[in-house]
Amino acid sequence: MTDRKMITLTIEGRQVQVPEGTSMLEAARSAGVLIPHYCYHPGLPVAGVCRMCLVEVEKAPKLAPACATAVADGQVIHVHSDKAREARTGVLEMLLINHPLDCPICDQSGECELQDYTYAEGRKSSRYREAKRFNPVEDFGGDVLYVPNRCILCTRCVRFMDDVAHDPVLNVSERGDRAVIGKFEDQDLTHPWAGNVVDLCPVGALLSKDFLNKARSWDLDRAASICPNCSQGCNATLETRDNVVVRIRPRPNDEVNRYFLCDEGRLDYRWLNRRDRIEYPHVRRDHALAPVEWEIAVDAAAVALRGRQAFVLASPGLSNETLFLLARIRDRTGGRGAFRVRQGAEAPLPGVPDLALRADRAANGRGAELLGFSRSETPLEGLRNGDVLIVADEELAGIDPASVATAVARAASIIVVGTTLPAWASGAAVVLPVANMAEEDGTFTNLRGRVQRYLQAKQAPGLVRPAWSALGDLLTALGESALYFLPSDVFAALAAAVPAFAGLDYDRLGLVGVPVAGDGAATAAAGALVGAAP
Amino acid sequence: MAINVKVLARPVEDVSYVRATLKGMALTFRHLVDPHKVTVQYPEQRDELSPRWRGTHRMLTTEDGKAKCVACGLCPTVCPANCIKLVPGEDEQGNRYPLVFEIDEFRCIFCGYCQEVCPEEAIHVGRHYENSEYSREGFVYDLERLVSQTHAVCEMWDPTDPRGE
Repeated sequence: MTDRKMITLTIEGRQVQVPEGTSMLEAARSAGVLIPHYCYHPGLPVAGVCRMCLVEVEKAPKLAPACATAVADGQVIHVHSDKAREARTGVLEMLLINHPLDCPICDQSGECELQDYTYAEGRKSSRYREAKRFNPVEDFGGDVLYVPNRCILCTRCVRFMDDVAHDPVLNVSERGDRAVIGKFEDQDLTHPWAGNVVDLCPVGALLSKDFLNKARSWDLDRAASICPNCSQGCNATLETRDNVVVRIRPRPNDEVNRYFLCDEGRLDYRWLNRRDRIEYPHVRRDHALAPVEWEIAVDAAAVALRGRQAFVLASPGLSNETLFLLARIRDRTGGRGAFRVRQGAEAPLPGVPDLALRADRAANGRGAELLGFSRSETPLEGLRNGDVLIVADEELAGIDPASVATAVARAASIIVVGTTLPAWASGAAVVLPVANMAEEDGTFTNLRGRVQRYLQAKQAPGLVRPAWSALGDLLTALGESALYFLPSDVFAALAAAVPAFAGLDYDRLGLVGVPVAGDGAATAAAGALVGAAP
Repeated sequence: MAINVKVLARPVEDVSYVRATLKGMALTFRHLVDPHKVTVQYPEQRDELSPRWRGTHRMLTTEDGKAKCVACGLCPTVCPANCIKLVPGEDEQGNRYPLVFEIDEFRCIFCGYCQEVCPEEAIHVGRHYENSEYSREGFVYDLERLVSQTHAVCEMWDPTDPRGE
């Protein structure tokens, strides 16, 4: 990149320097100028079919498509000149000829580029008096619904399936004003990454069946997060409505997932909204669990741990901060820790290097390894007679509960630190209810060792506290100095204590993350700008 | 000890009740014969409401009796009093429609924004003022109630003077 010649040009009166070969549209973006566009997407090959990005170039005879034209030295580009504006208004009028006025029932409404640009520079009223084209809604398979009436034929979806997913299922069928997006016969959008066409679609033509009619985009609260469903650690945005996660969408990060998120990741969010949560701390009194104050429960846990070794059964979905504090409890008592990762089929996205839905269906297995937890298919084997079993948000789903219960019977007592109380751990002495990943701030370490932050998206129920906060109190009760007020405090202690995390802090991680020491020579520039949404 | 009340000597014609009584009775008899009436004989008689009167809501329906609402969510968005609850859903034909549509008429400030913003001309504020209920809950109008009401709806502007001149 550095050996490329730099070119200086002027866009909307602003001088910018960009490497040779950059498109006008990208150059304008680096100058902070948005050139309206539909077919261009930074994650897809350039098509130049929508004609929306036409800009006026001084001394050029015609308007130039900004997405497909490389910049030249000394160029002067006008994006908002009368000529360019008139061209865009014309394009919008043509697009609106067959676009129905059904924004009130369209799921894209509020985040629709056609809506936005029409409000900004479209005609005030239509001159078209004829009947609009009509095609029925089509089920594209997978999670995708196609509404041909709304389609503006930008072909982003076709290019995604052809060039990124390498699964050419979609095409442009028919010609002229009859053209629609079609499927090849007997093929469906069943590719594990096909759901991305819904995000790529600039209008409401491709819709997610899962999200259909669920919420309006302006009702949603958004939080920068990490997809918690596999070890790839795709950057994502959790979107909530009334404290319920309703959608996960990709957040651009060139180092991890570029602009994409797999279907399994984007549809597997319901566990974040579970209703069978434990909401209050409990301790065992008279052979039954009784709800108590936090202080009482934490003291009871400290008493249970006194003089015994802890065996920590950790979930690989816990944050680095929580795992670090669990590791400190483990080491303080001279105990051991293990975790188990649920496995699934690996599903790569061929068009992006090193991007796949990973076999490890948990976000932080790597972090657990770095913090000294041992990975095992049967994690309870390490539990010895007389140990105190600390179950940290692990349900051991898929393993026969009865056999787990017999293994657990070896423990002197059980402390549950979790979102739910699994049946096999119902004999617990102490239950500390903690927040799930959507309810707390924290970090995950992905399988390539990249530490990435996620932010709180919703409120936790009842008296639930983030696990780092509860475990900090427990450590204090055990006699260690562990006074933490913020997750960043815990992370600072983690960075000071664990060599792999040395030198990292929340400010350096930013929202794109940094690889841990000794992992991957390519260290991303800290705090680098997240690629702006296309 | 007697209180020394100072009695002023006034002319009889100034302090006499006769003059005041006659004055009052004159007014009474004038009203008796004068047809100028202010009292409205409610409920037999009712005042005409302005076409722009904004009262409790009504949901208009299509020919087949269904609410016109498509659950677009604009009215709860625009409502300054936050009194509209809307949960969108799908009907048997796959059309978007409101699963829940409730207006809390106690919280409503009758600004009429909901009617103005509605792209389907479904929700209207009504030309209606008789709103008694037996319970507070009765003032949370659900979709069924909003659809079944028949009173006239607000015109938002006077048709004879649309510019408000």
